[in-house]
Amino acid sequence: MKNQDASAESGAGKEEAGSLVIPAELKDTVTLTTIDKAVEFLSQTVLNTAVNWARSNSVWPLTFGTSCCAIEMMCVGMSAFDISRFGSEVFRATPRQADLIITAGTITRKMASALITLYEQLPEPKYVIAMGACTVTGGMFNDSYSVVQGVDRIIPVDVYLPGCPPRPEALLDALLKLQQKIRSESLTARRQRLYRQSPIRYVDYDSGRPVEDLVSDVHQEMNEIAEAVKFKADRS
Amino acid sequence: MTESDQAEKSSAGTAAPGQFGQLLSDNGIESNRLPDSCGVETIEVDRQQLENAVQRLRKSPEAVLDLLLAVSGVDSPESYDSVYHLWSTSKSGELVIKVRVAKSEVAPGELPEVPSLARIWSAANWHERESYDLVGIRYSGHPYLRRILNPWNWVGHPLRRDYKQPVDALNDKNPVSFR
Repeated sequence: MKNQDASAESGAGKEEAGSLVIPAELKDTVTLTTIDKAVEFLSQTVLNTAVNWARSNSVWPLTFGTSCCAIEMMCVGMSAFDISRFGSEVFRATPRQADLIITAGTITRKMASALITLYEQLPEPKYVIAMGACTVTGGMFNDSYSVVQGVDRIIPVDVYLPGCPPRPEALLDALLKLQQKIRSESLTARRQRLYRQSPIRYVDYDSGRPVEDLVSDVHQEMNEIAEAVKFKADRS
Repeated sequence: MTESDQAEKSSAGTAAPGQFGQLLSDNGIESNRLPDSCGVETIEVDRQQLENAVQRLRKSPEAVLDLLLAVSGVDSPESYDSVYHLWSTSKSGELVIKVRVAKSEVAPGELPEVPSLARIWSAANWHERESYDLVGIRYSGHPYLRRILNPWNWVGHPLRRDYKQPVDALNDKNPVSFR
């Protein structure tokens, strides 16, 4: 299967256009099946609209509230605002059954690693609404030593919802915006984008720094050591 | 956590000892009276005599300060303070004790040492851990002196005056930073 794909790509090249082009870095790990191709074909015609309509009307959020925005999130679930009108009333207690994280509240540095874990436990396709000023930019905790200055530093965000805290109607509006986004996307295109998103997800849990930075630090240190050794050797 | 100490600027005059200060001096324990904080008698006690003084105040029938309300740490300009709020459940008395370690006594790279009260009040256990975590006061004799609010691998004590947080991926590129 792998060989076929490789030969198909090298031989046919652009013939296999559309959204199913595999990036060069993933050639060893990704194999396209006939089902993928069938889904891709169907999705370009009928399936996409139908599937997206179904998906957008059953976005199940994760029960995730870290401070006062969670009160508004609870309010949205109650009868006065009634998020079930839009099919999102099923707040799941585990990320494995949810489609959406509403980061309702301040994310501290101590919580950051837990949030990354939760995000990675969500099954694809997954979405994030950054709810409240704290998770959009750090908000009133600007320059705080303990607060992550914007949740988009650790997980990718689909909809930003400012406010301190935002009204329940605002959360409903954010959900509608997210539904629009879901309706207008193609699942296969999304899969590709995932690959591009991946660097932002590789954040070192302990230091909160991107792994790329840590690796470059190590390289720099090694270079310095090598230079020092060379310097010593030159002197002697 | 930290509390302002502007009232203490005018503490030069030696005021007459209050009820609890008098009780301590009757028992041969030195204390220095500070301006009252919100109408509550405030005394300064030497750190060597802290445990002794607190036991005395807790046991003696005139005082019965048997409840420890809070332990807080203060990074004052010249000293590190550990502040204890005591309360009497039976006689409704209240007392604030400050233990000061001058910054000139603390060697660079070391933490100021204050005796722990965790053996006398178990409530002091977490309060002292918090004070250690944020202000960096080492409570000697504490059973489990470990960071309680910040992650365990945190470097430095964030509520110190000289604390500077390293810039990393979680707080860099901030266009509205006041730093």
